[in-house]
Amino acid sequence: MAVTLEKMRADIAEMIGEEPEAIGIDDNLMDLGLDSMRLMNLILMWQEAGVDLEFGEFAEHFTLGAWWDAVQKRQASK
Amino acid sequence: MTRFPLTEAQSGLWYFQKMEPENPILNTGQFLEIVGPLDVDVFRAAFDRMVEETEALTLRFAEEAGGPVQYLDPAMRPTLGYADLRSEATPEAAAIAAMRRDTDTPLDLTRDPVAAFTLFRLSDERYFWYERVHHLAIDGYGWVLITNRVAELYSAAINGTNPAPAFPPFEQAVSENAEYLSSERRAADRAYWHDYLANLPEPGSMSAGRPVSGHSFRRHSRFLRGPILDKLRAVAQTAKVTWPDVLTALVSAYCQRFTGTSEVVVGVPHMGRLGSKAARVPCTLMNVLPLRVKIDDRQPMPEFLGAVAKDLIKARRHGRYRSEQMRRDFGLIGGARRLFGAMVNVQPFDVAPKMAGLDVTLHILGAGAVDDITFTFRGDANHELLFETDTNPNLYSEEATRAHGERLEEFLLHALDAATLSEVATASAAEAQRFLFDLNTTEHPVRDVTLTQLIVEGMRWAPDAPALRFEGETMSYRELDARTAALAEKLKEMGAGTDKIVAVALPRSFELVIALVATLRAGAAYLPLDTEHPRDRIARIMQSAKPICVLATAETSELFEGDPVLLTCDWPKIPSGADLAMPAPGDMAYVIYTSGSTGEPKGVVIEHRAIVNRLEWMRTHYGFGSHDRILQKTPATFDVSVWEFFLPLMCGAALVVAAPGAHRDPAAIAKLIRDEAITTLHFVPSMLSAFLAWPGVAGLKVARVFCSGEELTADHRDRFHKAIDGELHNLYGPTEAAVDVSYWPASKDDRSMPVPIGLPVWNTRLYVLDANMKPVPADVVGDLWLGGVQLARGYLGRPDLTEDRFLPDPFRPGERIYRTGDVARFRQDGAVVFLGRSDHQVKIRGLRIELGEIEAAIMSSGLARQTGVIAREDRPGDKRIVAYIVPTETYSEDAMQRHLAATVPDYMIPAAFVTLDELPVTSNGKLNRAALPAPSFADTGVRQATGPTETLLARLFAEVLGLPEPASADADFFALGGDSLLAVNLTLRIQEAFGRDPGLGAIFEHPTLSSLAALLDADAQSDDGLGNLIRLSNETPDKTPLFVIHPAGGISWCYRGLARAIGRPVYGLQSPALDPAKSLPESLDALAASYVEAIRAVQAEGPYNLLGWSVGGIIAHAMATKLREAGDKVDLLALLDAYPAECWRAEPEPDEKAALRALLAIAGYDPEGYPELETREDILTFLREGDSPIGNLPAAALDGVVRSVLDTNRLVRGHYHGRFDGVLTHIRAGNDHQGTNLVSELWNEHAAALRVIEVPFKHSQLTSPEATAMIVPALKNLLETERR
Repeated sequence: MAVTLEKMRADIAEMIGEEPEAIGIDDNLMDLGLDSMRLMNLILMWQEAGVDLEFGEFAEHFTLGAWWDAVQKRQASK
Repeated sequence: MTRFPLTEAQSGLWYFQKMEPENPILNTGQFLEIVGPLDVDVFRAAFDRMVEETEALTLRFAEEAGGPVQYLDPAMRPTLGYADLRSEATPEAAAIAAMRRDTDTPLDLTRDPVAAFTLFRLSDERYFWYERVHHLAIDGYGWVLITNRVAELYSAAINGTNPAPAFPPFEQAVSENAEYLSSERRAADRAYWHDYLANLPEPGSMSAGRPVSGHSFRRHSRFLRGPILDKLRAVAQTAKVTWPDVLTALVSAYCQRFTGTSEVVVGVPHMGRLGSKAARVPCTLMNVLPLRVKIDDRQPMPEFLGAVAKDLIKARRHGRYRSEQMRRDFGLIGGARRLFGAMVNVQPFDVAPKMAGLDVTLHILGAGAVDDITFTFRGDANHELLFETDTNPNLYSEEATRAHGERLEEFLLHALDAATLSEVATASAAEAQRFLFDLNTTEHPVRDVTLTQLIVEGMRWAPDAPALRFEGETMSYRELDARTAALAEKLKEMGAGTDKIVAVALPRSFELVIALVATLRAGAAYLPLDTEHPRDRIARIMQSAKPICVLATAETSELFEGDPVLLTCDWPKIPSGADLAMPAPGDMAYVIYTSGSTGEPKGVVIEHRAIVNRLEWMRTHYGFGSHDRILQKTPATFDVSVWEFFLPLMCGAALVVAAPGAHRDPAAIAKLIRDEAITTLHFVPSMLSAFLAWPGVAGLKVARVFCSGEELTADHRDRFHKAIDGELHNLYGPTEAAVDVSYWPASKDDRSMPVPIGLPVWNTRLYVLDANMKPVPADVVGDLWLGGVQLARGYLGRPDLTEDRFLPDPFRPGERIYRTGDVARFRQDGAVVFLGRSDHQVKIRGLRIELGEIEAAIMSSGLARQTGVIAREDRPGDKRIVAYIVPTETYSEDAMQRHLAATVPDYMIPAAFVTLDELPVTSNGKLNRAALPAPSFADTGVRQATGPTETLLARLFAEVLGLPEPASADADFFALGGDSLLAVNLTLRIQEAFGRDPGLGAIFEHPTLSSLAALLDADAQSDDGLGNLIRLSNETPDKTPLFVIHPAGGISWCYRGLARAIGRPVYGLQSPALDPAKSLPESLDALAASYVEAIRAVQAEGPYNLLGWSVGGIIAHAMATKLREAGDKVDLLALLDAYPAECWRAEPEPDEKAALRALLAIAGYDPEGYPELETREDILTFLREGDSPIGNLPAAALDGVVRSVLDTNRLVRGHYHGRFDGVLTHIRAGNDHQGTNLVSELWNEHAAALRVIEVPFKHSQLTSPEATAMIVPALKNLLETERR
């Protein structure tokens, strides 16, 4: 099962109790209430979906767009 | 090498370390326990690569003109130490000792490397990898980064995989910080926190003491496993919050149970890295965010958790804004002021890293300073959480630390199951068992008989023995038997019997005792009435009790017009022998009326069984017998009299009745004790205090003295044992529980402070419960509830009140408990400590204040119809007393102020008076505190501040006093609510703003803004309060001034309270030693001569008034002698507990250490309370952090104080007194000097006459507000008489 941009958007939205539409591609996710614990949970979810992700790289760039780039890179390198 | 400024996160730590260079607490450290076939070479390679990537490990620090800087110094790059401990007897202990040594060694950050790493080999396949880095270089998340990096590199090498990219350079963190500092984001964050922290309450402490980090911390570690983690995750899921936020919320709720406030502020560490380019840089970025948690016990749990989580989310969004900056923004710097109390640290990422082929366990050694208490949870909550309770050893014992760890785990377990917090007890199950049951195991068999039967039995043992003594007359038991039987027959005829009431309105006399016993023999209950009480009160009681008759004398009978009265002269004396049927144990024995809070007296109905329990307990517990002689001096309307009357009669002992009025006369009581060989008597503590102050008590011998009715203080106890040979017992109980329910032997060796009310008597239970009727652990304040056989039946004719105060016992089905309305706590040993009425006692700046006492003083003025006095805290940390008054026509605030100044100590005078048409009340008639308006410390000045000085001062006044807008030019600092502490703040602000220190003295002398501005403008020699002569008061300038001479420390600010109260100008002389530029006089006479010269500049000729405390008294005596030699009059020479120089000559001279400790005393601390403060640094730091004005002195002046202590002591030892040919007034500290030869009479040879005034204080307390309140009236009196 691949991780898609829409799955990521939906998962993030679920995590912070928002509608998926409310999450813009370049929104600072910290401003939307995402914290390290929730980030960790997301990473675990996506790892289960088969993408090996690193907390550190997600922590630096805190937008859906940056994360999607990172995920794409990982999925491509597999 | 490039130098960077410190980041905001580092600055706070830098200054902390700089202030305490010897404190190693910022050496953070941990070790990995590695089990398995570790490839040491691969590990070393992984380590070296991590170190190469982690620039922060090579940081060095330097101080430059612009402040501290840091730079990277490759020479500092750490290498991996290796120690093979396999041949050690106990390799593990050896490794841990080596780690401890390293962690406990303070670093010099300008010189030493910030980090050290060692690999200890304990056995062939077991290693400890020790890591230590100073907190300035790394934070908790940084630890995770570097440790996991080594593990990752190791595993990659073993498995042949590619590791993640290297860490970004350190510079990235520095530049990120710089960008943030000037960003809009920071401005937005700041605005958020300003809004969030408005009206911040005191954070609340779980322990008494100063929350200043020590050099070490205590730790209790435990693992949370199993159901608690399942519940945690389930609750988090239901509440739609993360489990770390659930923990944070519930731990905050736990903390609130100990602070006694409805809102707590906890500190929550925040990694501060997300979304930042510094996210992966190992360095210090961590911030601690204040989290305000309001506790509403009834709120559904998911709602509570959701609300806290929401606050946490918002806080994190603004989490880059430093808490150090928040403290600066809100003036919460220094001393005990702080942003948050406990810390709650949840570290879900703190799990041991995985290393290929190895078992790895993580052990945290230290994670930085522990100011108060820190609860840390490490791990992912799947299998276990490591739960550490770290505490400041100055605040928490090892025992308390462990108890918090254990109790909190239980609290969490229950809270995770609870629908609301109100269901969760604070006490652990073991504590609940102990405090509810074990300590209340008081079951003891007592014969089920009536008080009447006990008395009749007692009367028949030895009929010819003396039963009563009154004013030299004796009545035998035989006669008492006959007289009471005769009167009982008559009362029965009049209708007395079961549950009927006979009122007794008689003064102390044989007849009073006969009346009480006869009533009981008639099977009725007695109701004592005090004919001196207001007529209206007596009438209301009569109406409510409806007695079948009143036993009165001819003189008082007119009070009872219309009621059936039986006058003493009409009593039959010889019984007919008719049968007097015994009442039953469940019948009423007596009814005593107490004052209700609404003013309506309430009749408490006590049954025989209850009072029999109380009396039988007392008889057995204290071993009373027929040889005893018990004094009856308590008015019959006060239930203490019950045992005074009946205990002797049931024991066949002698009851000695004091004459009416004698209970208020110490001389009469002492005479009675001696003449009548009294073995037992009772005092209300305040009366005991007055009794002990009377010189005639010394050497009295009495078997036992009982105290109750008020708080017995440690001071009372100690004074008692100094003066009287006998036992002292503290008893406690409300009228509603048959006189007393608890006891404490306040023996000579008892060092309790405060003196507890102790342990329950037979068949009695004491509960301390929280507002939800749940038990609390030791040291937590709660409501005191009573249970057991002694409880009253209820209030006569008031089932509503009975129902309100007597409730079903939630812990023993079928029993009742009574709400005392008192607050109390259990000591660790199970003794109960009484802390006052639940609604009516407050502490302001450490002084406990009975608001009721202030209310009484206000009512006694005749200027108020009604009043309510409360302590308000409209600005956090700033509690002030406010009086609400419904005024009479004659009211004026001035008149009220004057009245109060004459009746209560000055610290009890309200800071504001608010007049109201009526006081708001709640539905049950109590004062509705919440509805009282906040006072405005109104600035009524009309002239606006003008000119730069006034304008700036106006702003500073507003800032310090919390005024809504700048003060006017006429504003008076003290009238607007300023006090001496705020005055110190003002001088600090002025110093910052104007660059010079006007001195505290200037504010006292020039409290109005315009005059203070003029002073600053004049740029005159600014008074820093350290001059040779300072003016302490300018009251009534036409009166002759009083000159007060400094004690050893050289400063005379200690006389400020006295100066303000004495009603004449007061000047303080201060030591030249305070000024390092001044040379010191060669003798005390020379010093005294220079002081005489100084006072002549103020007052050219006599008569002079002089006063000095301690060494100041010796100097005053020398000055007085000189003045007399010069032919001047000296009206007053008052010495506050000074003793002549010859007493000191043989004593060792104090060394610098002693002088420094004296400094503590000068600043108002008891040096004995701070044994840990030893060095100059310790003491000066302590004082600077504290709230005393001394602590805010410039360093040179503190040196001056030490110099003065040393020098003055030298001068005293070389001094020989002249003779003063007038009256020397010696004010002696009565609570000190036992066992020494320091007595007032030592002055006899140095003065023509000696007058001694003894006050019940210690030497060190003589300038305290309490002592001042007692000394000033005496001095005033002397000053006025001497003038005539």
